[in-house]
Amino acid sequence: MAVKIASSRWRVWHRWLALIVGLQMVVWSISGAYMVFFKLPFIHGDHLVHQHDAVIQHANHVAPFNDVLKAYPEASQIQLTSQWLNHQWQPVYRISHHGMAEIVDAQSLAVVELSQSDVQAIAEKIYALGEQPASQVQWLTENPPSELNPDHLPVWRVDFDDFGSTSLYFSPSTGELVTKRHTFWRGFDIMWMLHIMDYEERVDIESWLLRGFIIANFIFLITGAVLLVYTLRKPKPSLKTTTEGSA
Amino acid sequence: MMRFLQWLHRWTSLIIIIQVLLWIISGFYFSLSGHHEMSGHQYHQMDHSHAPLASSRALDWPQIANQFSGISGVDLRTVGEVPQYVVTHDDGVSYLNATTGELWSTSEAMAASLALATYSGPGAIESVTPLTEGSSEVNGWREPGYRVDIRDDLNTRIYVDAASGTVIEHRNTPWLLADWAFKLHFMDYSGERNFNHLLIVSAGVVTLWFTLSGLILLGRNLARGDMNPRRKQTYLEFYQAQQQPIASACGGGGTCGLCKVRFRGLVPSPTKNDRAMLTESDLNDGLRLSCQHRVSKGHEVDIAATDARQIKLKLVHNRVLTPSIHELTFLPQTESDFNYQAGQFMQFLIPCRTGNDAVVLHRNYSFATAPGQPELTFTVRKMPAPNTSCEPGLGSTYLCSMKTGDTIDAIGPMGDFLLNNEAANERRQVFIGGGAGIAPLRALIQAELESAQSNRSIQFFYGARNKSELCYYDDFMALQSEERLQYHPVLSEQDDHWRGLSGFVHEIAQAWIQTQDVQSLDVYVCGPPAMLAATQSMLRAIGVPQEHIRYDDFGI
Repeated sequence: MAVKIASSRWRVWHRWLALIVGLQMVVWSISGAYMVFFKLPFIHGDHLVHQHDAVIQHANHVAPFNDVLKAYPEASQIQLTSQWLNHQWQPVYRISHHGMAEIVDAQSLAVVELSQSDVQAIAEKIYALGEQPASQVQWLTENPPSELNPDHLPVWRVDFDDFGSTSLYFSPSTGELVTKRHTFWRGFDIMWMLHIMDYEERVDIESWLLRGFIIANFIFLITGAVLLVYTLRKPKPSLKTTTEGSA
Repeated sequence: MMRFLQWLHRWTSLIIIIQVLLWIISGFYFSLSGHHEMSGHQYHQMDHSHAPLASSRALDWPQIANQFSGISGVDLRTVGEVPQYVVTHDDGVSYLNATTGELWSTSEAMAASLALATYSGPGAIESVTPLTEGSSEVNGWREPGYRVDIRDDLNTRIYVDAASGTVIEHRNTPWLLADWAFKLHFMDYSGERNFNHLLIVSAGVVTLWFTLSGLILLGRNLARGDMNPRRKQTYLEFYQAQQQPIASACGGGGTCGLCKVRFRGLVPSPTKNDRAMLTESDLNDGLRLSCQHRVSKGHEVDIAATDARQIKLKLVHNRVLTPSIHELTFLPQTESDFNYQAGQFMQFLIPCRTGNDAVVLHRNYSFATAPGQPELTFTVRKMPAPNTSCEPGLGSTYLCSMKTGDTIDAIGPMGDFLLNNEAANERRQVFIGGGAGIAPLRALIQAELESAQSNRSIQFFYGARNKSELCYYDDFMALQSEERLQYHPVLSEQDDHWRGLSGFVHEIAQAWIQTQDVQSLDVYVCGPPAMLAATQSMLRAIGVPQEHIRYDDFGI
């Protein structure tokens, strides 16, 4: 004790940096561990829905593409696919024009208007976690929840009362599944927010707040590394831990 | 618990520190670059024209349905300026030229123009290279296609799929650097940017232990006040830093009771450890343990032991007394009139190097002889390593390996483990000791025997593991045969050749004391912690008055 220990200055720095910036290191490790532990397809909710590649039914009654193009001469893209309607897979044309999309019956070329119950039926058909009715169907036009990109508005939100509080979002014009959300995605989103330190938009990774903490934690790590070298080269734990007798 | 956490923090950091460094560096690279810079899409433009489909087609539904089985979807779109069918069926995906009805094919010239249509930068095409198996720069694309190199500041290259005519990806130099950062950050060097594989999960577990142990240790430091910049030294730290003679065996833990100081005037209220180690009258006299109180301007403090000073000792003899105990004999170098009382101890200042740091260890050893000779004799028990991962005691190892002529500094004398010489004390003197506790008891017994005015009878109970560990056995046997004392050596290990007492020394002593009038005894105890504790509770149980018991604590 009489001689000042050279490593103690590093230890003081290490402790103060731990308090000021090191807590973010803990946040990084917890949020990073969350993102690493849960597999990305699970986070994306791939297990929530069936992949449906229904074969086109009534192929002989489906109108040719040419007829669709005559009805929609401005179409930039036309897709023949199947949609779950009236308790069956029905062939439909999905038509894109001027950046918008709609679906028409592939036989009559009549526009298909999807009702709330149609969307609910589609959701329940593709939902993969057991046979259960949706707990809630909402029509969202403004003030989207933070988990939804506002570009998707207006949108149908179909909720299921399950372990992960699943929400499926559907396009009102085509009945396409826009996105899927559940508790672990929401947790991932919060962890991502904590990881990049953008507590509002959760997208900006270029903030000086983040950069400052990274630089400071770099210095913090160096002080720890120096202490590690000191401890490993020391043949014996420090003074206080060695107690011998008086005799 | 905290020692375990320190150990854990140290070892997990050793395992993971390089990766944490890589995470910090690659994370900083991400933060500096930003999403767009790393995407490879600096010169990428999307087609937002929504140009209408061309109407001339050689092929239409339902002829398409006749060419494939199990069709689940057909997509009519424009590639370049040519309409194309994308048919998804049982055997995969097929691309058809809608104008000719043939399978789609992409020429080099077409690949170049398709690539250019998605390029918004200043460069021109440098070369178009056919590829047979995609590119390692595009994860998951192993199909035939083209690499279109653009001569620009970013070394842009555009990959085009031959079967579909689709522009797969733009790549450039910043993307390549970012890709390396992703490899480092995700610990995935395959280029797949997968961050759920076993290696990084393991690293995550280690990192969690590493940071959480650090967090708990930090909380402990905060709770202890280690980080309070206004925190003062304790008086023990203060006196040790000043090289003042102050005794401590436990290093400031408040458990050895040696670092007594006297407060005058303003006396701080006693702590729990003060109360445990000091008597009520000591406390009322202003005595406190110096390790329990912090330096403050309002205090007036004296070190209780005033005779003590620092002297230099020269080793004149180092002999092995028993397999585990050395006897060291020194001559004082700096003082000719050095004096002490039997039962006291010296605090040795043991120089020690730990890494680059010079540290002085404080170790206390009692005098093993009564005063009156020029030499000072000590017994030192070599502390073995408690386990293989730990080295033996630094202090005792240093002392036992000293050679004749070597010198060492020591402070003393200190301690109040003295003979009870109050007036008209004719009580029987009972000494109970074990192992290395021999030294102060031997000094006290010698002093009692030499004392001219005292004629008190002496009982000495001494325990050791086996016969070879009985220190000074022959000396005490000789004194016994001269009927100057009653010597009761006790062995705790089984020994068929031993015809003396066996068992624990405090039990043998108890058997004898119970035949005596407990009011007519003075008891002195010194030995290892377990033996000391057992003896103290034994004496309390059979009713020996507290003021007739004196003991010397090893201070552990």
